[in-house]
Amino acid sequence: MSTAHTGGIDTGERRRSGDGRPVITDLIDEPTVQSIVEDAWVALVGEDEVLIPLAGEPIGDVVSAWVDVVGPWTGSVVLTTGRQTAAELTRALLAESSPELLEDEDVADAFGEIANVVGGNVKAALPGSSALSLPEVGEAPAVRNPEDVVRLDVLWRGQPLSISAQGALPPLPVPHPPPGGQSPHENGASL
Amino acid sequence: MKILVADDSRVMRQIVIRTLRQAGFDDHDIVEAEDGADALAKVSSESPDLVLSDWNMPNMSGIECLQAMRSSGSTIPFGFVTSEGSPEMREKAANAGALFLIAKPFDEDTFRDALDGVIA
Repeated sequence: MSTAHTGGIDTGERRRSGDGRPVITDLIDEPTVQSIVEDAWVALVGEDEVLIPLAGEPIGDVVSAWVDVVGPWTGSVVLTTGRQTAAELTRALLAESSPELLEDEDVADAFGEIANVVGGNVKAALPGSSALSLPEVGEAPAVRNPEDVVRLDVLWRGQPLSISAQGALPPLPVPHPPPGGQSPHENGASL
Repeated sequence: MKILVADDSRVMRQIVIRTLRQAGFDDHDIVEAEDGADALAKVSSESPDLVLSDWNMPNMSGIECLQAMRSSGSTIPFGFVTSEGSPEMREKAANAGALFLIAKPFDEDTFRDALDGVIA
């Protein structure tokens, strides 16, 4: 890929993707992720189930489900919510087949499958060819680069849930300014 | 008619079976398989009339199962039900001999559209 753009006006985009490695915000926006999540919700959780785009109060006892995407962009699509909410989601998915007592395995299966459906559709919306992992459930992978994240906070049945597409790679080092010159951008420092 | 539903998620197998029923395909025998290898074994032992399979599964993926079936001469109709709905994956599925690919999330109309003409 050409890296001929070496001078002139800094567009911001060059700062993020100058070496050809895109960050997720170059590839997909929040409304697209929201639409993917809403479609998954209606089909899997229920036609009358709404997601309200509001951040709830942070909760302590959370569980995450995610799938990894490996390709031109490499990262994870992660859903995080409270354990009780994950159990309620499981009951909604199982509907009339829901057992009286839910096993952890059921919750991991159901919550992981929601992540799989959301992640699969995020992957399909990305350019180029990528591979999708099997879903995992547990403590979410760490955010490596805060600029390589698209995050959505919603409420489902009044409970907070977050959906994020987050890069697996740390930020690239910021190039040193040319000798005797000024940095081409004031806000280019790594966070 | 016997339908083999292969998905490593038990919850998703139940959703697929429920959606088949909601789409009006409710008087068929259902056999479940928990991955591609299990599906391939049950293709032999159960002789289903149709296979509905997830793509990404442990042990053996859906596409590997389909390729193994076709290599062994099986012509049993095969369709994917998967979160992998990109044009690239649809092309791969068709090239391997799949009749259709239902992308997750789906509803009963999606099932009806894909399965009308396949299920008698």
